[in-house]
Amino acid sequence: MARFLVRRVTFAILLVFISSSAALFLTRLAPGDLTVSLGPNPSRAEVAAARARFDLDRPVLEQWGLWISRLARLDFGESLQYGRPVGPLVARAAANSATLGVIALIVATLLGISLGIFTGAQRGAAAAVVRTFSVACLSLPPLVTSLLLVFIAARTGWFPLGGMTTPGTTAVTWSAWLADVAVHLPLPVIALALPVAATFERLQSQALGETLHLPFVAAAAARGVSRRSAVLHHAWPVSLRAICAIYGIVIGAVLSGSFVVEYVTAWPGLGRTMYEALRARDIYLVAGCAAMGASFLALGTLIGDLLLAAVDPRVREGIAE
Amino acid sequence: MAFLYYLRDGGGNGPGTAGLPGASGGTEQAEARRGGQIVGSARSQPRSFNRLLVRDQTSDTVNMLLQGRLVRINRATFQVEPWLADKWEAAADGLTYTFHLRENLTWSDGAPFSSADVIFSLDAALDPKVESVVASNLTAGGQPIRAEAPDANTVVFKLAGPVGPGVRIFDGLPILPKHKLGSALAAGQLAAAWGPATPPSELAGMGPFVLREYVPGQRLVFDRNPRYWRKDARGQQLPYLDRIILEIVPEQNAELLRLQAGDTDLTHSELRAEDYVPVRQAEQQGKVRLVELGVGTDPDGFWFCMKPEVKAKDPRFRFVQKREFRQALSHAVDREEFAQTVFLGEAVPVWGPITTGNEPWFSPNIPRYPHDPARARDLLTSIGLEDRNSNGVVEDEKGTEARFTVLTQRGITYYESGATVLRDYAKAVGIALDIVALEAPALFQRVETCNYDAVYMRALMSDLDPGLSVDYWLSSGGAHLWNLSSKAPATEWEKEIDRLMTEQASTLDAARRKTIFNDVQRIFAENVPVLYFAAPRLYYGHSVRLRGVVPSVMRPQVLWNADMLSVDGAAPQS
Repeated sequence: MARFLVRRVTFAILLVFISSSAALFLTRLAPGDLTVSLGPNPSRAEVAAARARFDLDRPVLEQWGLWISRLARLDFGESLQYGRPVGPLVARAAANSATLGVIALIVATLLGISLGIFTGAQRGAAAAVVRTFSVACLSLPPLVTSLLLVFIAARTGWFPLGGMTTPGTTAVTWSAWLADVAVHLPLPVIALALPVAATFERLQSQALGETLHLPFVAAAAARGVSRRSAVLHHAWPVSLRAICAIYGIVIGAVLSGSFVVEYVTAWPGLGRTMYEALRARDIYLVAGCAAMGASFLALGTLIGDLLLAAVDPRVREGIAE
Repeated sequence: MAFLYYLRDGGGNGPGTAGLPGASGGTEQAEARRGGQIVGSARSQPRSFNRLLVRDQTSDTVNMLLQGRLVRINRATFQVEPWLADKWEAAADGLTYTFHLRENLTWSDGAPFSSADVIFSLDAALDPKVESVVASNLTAGGQPIRAEAPDANTVVFKLAGPVGPGVRIFDGLPILPKHKLGSALAAGQLAAAWGPATPPSELAGMGPFVLREYVPGQRLVFDRNPRYWRKDARGQQLPYLDRIILEIVPEQNAELLRLQAGDTDLTHSELRAEDYVPVRQAEQQGKVRLVELGVGTDPDGFWFCMKPEVKAKDPRFRFVQKREFRQALSHAVDREEFAQTVFLGEAVPVWGPITTGNEPWFSPNIPRYPHDPARARDLLTSIGLEDRNSNGVVEDEKGTEARFTVLTQRGITYYESGATVLRDYAKAVGIALDIVALEAPALFQRVETCNYDAVYMRALMSDLDPGLSVDYWLSSGGAHLWNLSSKAPATEWEKEIDRLMTEQASTLDAARRKTIFNDVQRIFAENVPVLYFAAPRLYYGHSVRLRGVVPSVMRPQVLWNADMLSVDGAAPQS
């Protein structure tokens, strides 16, 4: 088990290192740089000063070396757009993304698995409707889903149009703030959770359908176990392996922020921060966001492996060895 | 660089330097009520709270809310108004300006305001270590402006040479608190002071509001400055509003939805052409008030890179540098139709960079190029360009085709549609334009290094007064679009414009300045280094509860006059 954890932590460190370095290199090598954010008519001296301040006047490898040396001291550099250190900015955005992601993941898991059990174990019109809805949700790109939800919100006024809190709300108590955030959650949560729930539903449905045809389920039925119990207590735990196999990646992807959903719904998370940083070539902020996204992915993979071990004794034994 | 999608950092001007008596500026509201708050939006983060260091739109708006100036240019009338100085005298030779400060003013933190703060602000702006973005406008006769303070309420500025815009240049000098920033300047650390992470309690200003909170990526919250000096006509202390909140909304579609839903009172900037219809519908439903700002002062332009040292080996440069070629392209375009197609009819044809929106400096008597494809083909033939191989594109005698790649900025609807419409007109006279839309950073890098054939986008003047936007007109200017920062004028006509603009910028007589600038515009239009087609009529949408709006064609269209804004339903004035 210790070796497994050491392997995983090493993998996580490598993943973060490679992702953030790649982000820094790609941002640096992309055409244009962050001086585009200086405003109208910057002088050549002003542009040169900004480039020097962000090491853009040095060769890319030298810049990377300086960044790595600062990173070793947990200094992620400074953001030009925000004029402050990248670390706290990324931490704040990551917390917002994680809040959204965790809630979306819970919704998607509960909805997807329960509907998957239903469609996997049942035949009939209701199951067909659920399957069709899932396929539709899988087919719709998140951009379309998000825009559709914002459009519905704009037309009906059922949900706030976007953002994490109501515009103009300041200096409120913690409970009022939480209530305000809760009101703003449905729109991005639905946009984020729908395709994930549909994925879970399809996987769970197929896995359960296959498991129900295995001999041990027939044996359980022969022992007089009810159909409901055979599905929920015998077949379902085994069928969960398919979900657990991808759960880690889903966790990582959802927690690290969907820039499409966050951008359209104005959720101040990691995805939106990174997208804006990329557009402005805010190089150290891009690298910081990539590092945090990779950390979430590594964490998600670890959680996924542990879940898989929990439901599959063969994996558990492999980890133990 | 001048070609940015951000608009200029404030400061509209016109001829004349007379100060207006009293604290005018903005419609006084007979029924204005104190109290209440408004929610607006900003499209980006403020990069600093020190206006000496930054020029971006959000930082400039924040500065207008937090800081004061000696005089203010009214963004609606373009006239100079007394502000922290209630009167001034200018010497006849234009070399000395004496400002008399209002008495008994205090900073937002309670410290007394005096001439020492003005001297400090000028010193800070001109300190080489600060590398201030406003320093270039605080020079005269090639020398930095100097100042002295005979007493606590008087400041005398001394110029090495006359400056055409006169007292207007002092609108560009933000007045900063010496008691807060003096030690930073002395230590050579002012360039790092008042960054975005500065706690609001460490800021002090003479503006109508004080910063209460800044949540990066989310919002800026401003509270009324209780020590603000200005009162309305009834003696009522300004500002009327208790609070202004600027939510950071980078995406204009989201901003518009918020406006229509009543979540925000005002937007970051004017509406895009494609937004007119939905906002008009919202206005008819009583959700939004639509205001016409007038004709925009920065029309979209099209130009070729004509930097000889970069393009000399390009065979197409032989005909691009001939004015007949550019005139032919100008004749090819039906500007009325262009305005209809690209701006849905909400635009007026233009033939030069100065539009009717900049009324004081607009000249109607410049050469115009009516839509005349036959004339365009004649002009091309006159310089040896004909369609010799019948492929629809004209060539010179060596077979070099008039085919160009036109860069424009991705995601800006009117750039992309404008470039496409232009391509179709050019094709009709045998000039092939291939449109490529790039992300802003990539586009600006290409423009900066002259790594392009042609560009279609908005070129921005630093200021409405040509004397304060010489970087566009002078061949050495960093905004001389077609040949940036040239070491010497590349042509005789550019040399002549250099001479005229140098004279214009240092002439005190307003009528003479106008005459000279008319000549500059004429020479420019004859040689068409940048082609202009249409200037949009600008519209602005704000909530129906907002009062005291004096819209300006310049950004920030409403918040420039923030101390006079009020809202319906606010608490009755005490």
